[in-house]
Amino acid sequence: MIGLLVFVTAFLIPAEVGAETQLRFVTWRSEAARVFQQIIADFEISHPGIKVIQEIGPSSSTEFHDLVTQKLRNRDAEMDVFFMDVVWPAEFAAAGWALPVDRFFPPTAQSGFLDAPVKANTYGGHIYGIPMFVDAGMLYYRKDLLAKYQLRPPDTWPELVRQAQFIISQERDPYLTGYSAQFKQYEGLVCNMMEFILSNGGALWDEQRLKSAVHTAQAMEAVRFVRDDIVRLIANRGILAYQESESLALFTQGRAVFHRNWPYAWEASNDSGQSKVAGRVGVMPLPAFSGQKSAATLGGWQLAISRFSRHPQLAWEFVQFMTSSETQKRIALGTGRAPARKDLYHDPEILKRSPQFQSQFETFTLATPRPRTPVYLPLSNILQRYFSSAIAIADSNIEELARSAARDMDRVLDLLRDRRKS
Amino acid sequence: MTNRQDPVWRFLLPSFLFIGVFSLYPIIESFRLSFYRMILTMPWLGAKFVGWENYWDLATDPVARGSFVTSLLFVAVTTPIEVLVGLAMALVLNESFHGRGWLRAIVLIPWAVPTVVSSQMWRFIFNDRYGLFNYLIFGSATQNYWAPLAEPGLALVAVMLADIWKTSSFAGLILLAGLQGIPGELYEAADIDGATTWQKFRHVTLPLLKSALLLALLFRTIDALKVFDLVFVMTQGGPADTTNILQFYGYKKIFAEGMIGYGSAIAVAVFAISLLLSILYLRMSGAGIIRREPAK
Repeated sequence: MIGLLVFVTAFLIPAEVGAETQLRFVTWRSEAARVFQQIIADFEISHPGIKVIQEIGPSSSTEFHDLVTQKLRNRDAEMDVFFMDVVWPAEFAAAGWALPVDRFFPPTAQSGFLDAPVKANTYGGHIYGIPMFVDAGMLYYRKDLLAKYQLRPPDTWPELVRQAQFIISQERDPYLTGYSAQFKQYEGLVCNMMEFILSNGGALWDEQRLKSAVHTAQAMEAVRFVRDDIVRLIANRGILAYQESESLALFTQGRAVFHRNWPYAWEASNDSGQSKVAGRVGVMPLPAFSGQKSAATLGGWQLAISRFSRHPQLAWEFVQFMTSSETQKRIALGTGRAPARKDLYHDPEILKRSPQFQSQFETFTLATPRPRTPVYLPLSNILQRYFSSAIAIADSNIEELARSAARDMDRVLDLLRDRRKS
Repeated sequence: MTNRQDPVWRFLLPSFLFIGVFSLYPIIESFRLSFYRMILTMPWLGAKFVGWENYWDLATDPVARGSFVTSLLFVAVTTPIEVLVGLAMALVLNESFHGRGWLRAIVLIPWAVPTVVSSQMWRFIFNDRYGLFNYLIFGSATQNYWAPLAEPGLALVAVMLADIWKTSSFAGLILLAGLQGIPGELYEAADIDGATTWQKFRHVTLPLLKSALLLALLFRTIDALKVFDLVFVMTQGGPADTTNILQFYGYKKIFAEGMIGYGSAIAVAVFAISLLLSILYLRMSGAGIIRREPAK
């Protein structure tokens, strides 16, 4: 028996590979894997002795979270660098999973990046990730249809609903719907609903008092608007089961007047190979309720270093290389994704390839992160349940649902209060 | 006698070790963890022994109660249908006809396809714009198309349909084995007595198939209680939480929210329910499933 164990463990110990150090980079499948491949190859050339092993995980953020947190829970020393969604830093910081990178990444270096993602990576006075891509919710619309009826892109949500209703009634196209977005019960629903609530002067929570804010009048009014005006009047019922890809497909097939999505939808909807509306798409900040300001949920990915990495210094060199101005520029040119470095929004080459960045820059700088707290995921699950119940059932009792969601959120947030005391 | 026991143990040891490491240990560990308050994202809380508190929370958590009802509903609807459909399949496949071997292989395909793949397929089938389901019912009248996965009243039915499609043939396989165990002479004797086809089914097939039927029910019940991947891929528990079965809720608690103690309590509850149902079935069958009466 013991002989067997020794035999088995002999295989589990990795063989030493000369003097070469291996860095394991846990990433997701990229649309432009080749771009990353080349960049990593260049890194290896300029850093002899380091070999970067890419471990490709699932591209869904939720599933990627499962993979990365499983490694971190097990204190996996193999993983050195990993991608981190913009809502994870607080969780990973509190759990002691992500390495604070203040000594590598001081405020002077941080100032080269957009403020919103830097803020999202900061928790308890330390910074845990270096922003790579930035995402923010925005409104896509059919330029041709709006022009046909001499309509100006909508500034307010009620105006958007009126325009959609008018266009649908005039077009008499049974395929056409007014609005497509991500209303399935999952993380995307929180992003969408937060934009409605914020653009009505509401909030998901009170960050200072650590209390839920979903049962305030402004927040509930926005939810009611989504149920009674968006879902009932201008969208398909199917929207309640849509994630990004289904909602985008509807828009690129020319079956939706308005569409809420992340920046990547610009490339997809203007690619005549996969989109029937290429060249007829406009993009702008999301509307607001009257008298209020437009809001966008911040998304995006950062590079973080595992606390359990055996080579934090080398891992930093890799992260520094990957988030440098040159590399982010290469990735922006190769993938069309929005970089997290400010100066690249004035780069003529990038603007030539992605002219929409010019107008999107403002949205990126004003985007709001979701609640920065280690208990974000429990909060998000409560919110997903609340929002889905409130908008999927036509006569839902929003007030009662909101109160009960607020109670549940407060109970989770109370756990944090204990920490403040101690 | 005594010197005969030694080799028996030696032969049994590997499988006992296997079961111990991969089944017993995780169960005991889940049970232990369920008595702790342990939240990964709040390490400063530590792992605090809280006794039955997690179970108390579980009993008073309205979401868990909703999930519990959803899970039971799922089991109560899918298992009888799966066993009935399986029975029909087994009866057909037990007849001798040309191409039977092929058909036997074909009906097993839904069961052999990985659930994640077939769930994805069903998600497409139920899509509200280009799904096959709508096309079959409404043809090109797209304005009538339904969105089953978006309707709180329909999403669970859609998931149940996918489960029935997927696992009926597994029940059929067990029942087919049961059918083949029925001696042909009994049917010959029934023929001589002038029994009709229905009488033969009612008085010969059904009584002798009882233990196979209970076995199929038992397997399907346990599996249906554990259903996870279908919900994970098709609905993520929505809309309005109507497909949030207990297993999925527990998964979210442990893996997404890092609530190890509470999530373990949910896992133990699912385990307890399936244990209870298993005992119930075994009682019902008079232990006929595990102990075969020697032929007289």
